[in-house]
Amino acid sequence: MSEPRTLSSTALVRLVAAREISARLRDKNFIISSVVILVILLGLLGFQVAVGSGENETRVGVVGSSAQLEQALQAQGEALDTDVVVVDLDDEAAAREAVEAEDVEGALLAGESDPRLLVQSSDGFVEALVGGAVTQLAVAEQLTAAGITDLAAPEVAVEALDPDADADEQKILVALIGAALLYTLLILFGQFVAQGVVEEKASRVVELLLATMKPWQLLAGKILGLGVLGLAQIVLIAGVGVGGAIAFDIVDVPGDLIGTAVSVIAWFVLGYALYASIFAVAASLVSRQEDLNTVIMPLTLVLAGGFIVGVQAASDPDGTLARVTSFVPGLSPLVMPVRQAAGNVAIWEIGVAVVLMLIAVALVVRLGGRIYAGALLRTGGKIKMREALTAER
Amino acid sequence: MLEFDGLTKSFGANQVLDGVSFAVQPGSMFGFCGSNGAGKTTTMRVAMGLVAPDGGEVRWQGRALDQSARRRIGYMPEERGLYPKMKVAEQVAYFARLHGMDGRAATTSAGEWVERLGLGERRNDAVEKLSLGNQQRVQLAAALVSRPEVLILDEPFSGLDPIGVDSLAEALLDQARAGVPVVFSSHQLDLVERLCDSVGILARGRMVATGTVDELRRREAGRLLRVVVPDAGPQWADAVPGARVVSEQAGDTILELSDGADDQSVLAAALRTGRVTHFAWQQPTLVELFRGAVAAPTAEEVAA
Repeated sequence: MSEPRTLSSTALVRLVAAREISARLRDKNFIISSVVILVILLGLLGFQVAVGSGENETRVGVVGSSAQLEQALQAQGEALDTDVVVVDLDDEAAAREAVEAEDVEGALLAGESDPRLLVQSSDGFVEALVGGAVTQLAVAEQLTAAGITDLAAPEVAVEALDPDADADEQKILVALIGAALLYTLLILFGQFVAQGVVEEKASRVVELLLATMKPWQLLAGKILGLGVLGLAQIVLIAGVGVGGAIAFDIVDVPGDLIGTAVSVIAWFVLGYALYASIFAVAASLVSRQEDLNTVIMPLTLVLAGGFIVGVQAASDPDGTLARVTSFVPGLSPLVMPVRQAAGNVAIWEIGVAVVLMLIAVALVVRLGGRIYAGALLRTGGKIKMREALTAER
Repeated sequence: MLEFDGLTKSFGANQVLDGVSFAVQPGSMFGFCGSNGAGKTTTMRVAMGLVAPDGGEVRWQGRALDQSARRRIGYMPEERGLYPKMKVAEQVAYFARLHGMDGRAATTSAGEWVERLGLGERRNDAVEKLSLGNQQRVQLAAALVSRPEVLILDEPFSGLDPIGVDSLAEALLDQARAGVPVVFSSHQLDLVERLCDSVGILARGRMVATGTVDELRRREAGRLLRVVVPDAGPQWADAVPGARVVSEQAGDTILELSDGADDQSVLAAALRTGRVTHFAWQQPTLVELFRGAVAAPTAEEVAA
């Protein structure tokens, strides 16, 4: 057995952090909440895929198909903004069956002289699609029969006034999901930190801990340990989300999506640093889990406010409210990434918001650290912040 | 040597420690007595760096305690504290690591202590599932696991059943025999008297008496008189010059005589009440020493 050695601050902080991580990984609540978030995300993805495919694909059954007919159907589909899938069917009976089974949205009986379209109930969309294709084909055939082969029809040039409208909409959606994710994880991990602090106070184990380390080492270990878990979780979620979205081809511009995901993760780090410290300090003022809600309620309200402003900023990224709040430390992690994703934000604006946030974190850690140290060994009831600040140890 | 030197501390207007000094030799056990609120816990917290003293310091081997020296102290706080949801062996190993043992040594040592304190079968149970007595053993294991050079234990015996008391006493004696200075506080004075090489009595933030139990006895010897007068009224001795009643129970009276007071005048007063079944100078027990030391403020305390 080796002789005990002196421990550096780093070693102590790492020990505390490792304990936090292993305790959380065995905590059912943590596992459940992580799984729930992932399931919701996968559900969202699946929903997008389902909705997307429903909109973009039209299955049309054809009896007696020809290459020309198929081509005409597809051309018509393009004009109507849908991918046409042609299903070859043997006879009318098969066509009826396919329509009734909703395997196809309509079935065209093309072999006869008078083509008929079978549908479940009259549906303008499929009728327009098939009708248009059949008419076009008939016109082309008759023109060919009349000897006109190279018909010079003028092509209409398209000039898009807002070519990015679609992509913008996606960016806003991604920004909103990002803000929701930030909000959820900040609250979740803020609560974990707060519960951890109160657990140590309530069980009085803190007195044993402080006999071997300084309060700031305990606080740093706790915040870092849970922070590593939080970061792992948000990276995992962002990875699954971005990967899934790209794999299922939900987004048009993958680069934008990745950029937004990266900025959400970066803002999580900053937001977590601030909120975890504040939650820890607030929690150190009470001695029982039952009293915890009263001190962290104001904080969750601030976070909820930030989230609401963030949602608002998605639709109006350049409005005054969004602009101002994207600089306010504490609100900026929930608003700035939305503005970044949904609008045009200058680099200097991001820089200022980050610097303000860092200053706030430094202040909270300095002042909060004193409150935390002063309040840790005091038990019974709620301690006033001023008392904790001036507490003599 | 572990030295507590002139500790003073006040919380606001409340002076909790007023020059507390004593020393504990390596390999000896020091019992720390005092009524509730006398300052025992504060003294120990000062030693552990949990309370900063206004004046004075605690030294180990001639050097003031700092954080790394404190890591060599095994400590049991008055308010027991463990992580309720952490497993027994893991928890003990965690405290070993906080005291500077590396991972493997910590696990081995934790396993040994858990086994030794009879918790082998519960090693993988969460602490909150254990009985209070067993939790106390885990607490002790956490204090002993890093093979500390010094032990400071606040009320280690409180809440234990007689068998628990015996096994804890045995564990502490083992430590003392191995050369570790042990300081513990307790209200169970018979236990202190039985276990401790020296004793300190704290009252109102001051050490009112320190020394071996024998020294304290000698200091008090010849001053305490036990008189049993079954027929007497409770105030029978009040009129005797130079005698103070320390305790009185159904005529069984302990009297403290000031210098120059005449024991024969006490006997005369006793005989006036009727039968006298016992009259002898008393070897005071620690309880009596304690009562005498704590009861009345000394002259200088009154002056202060």
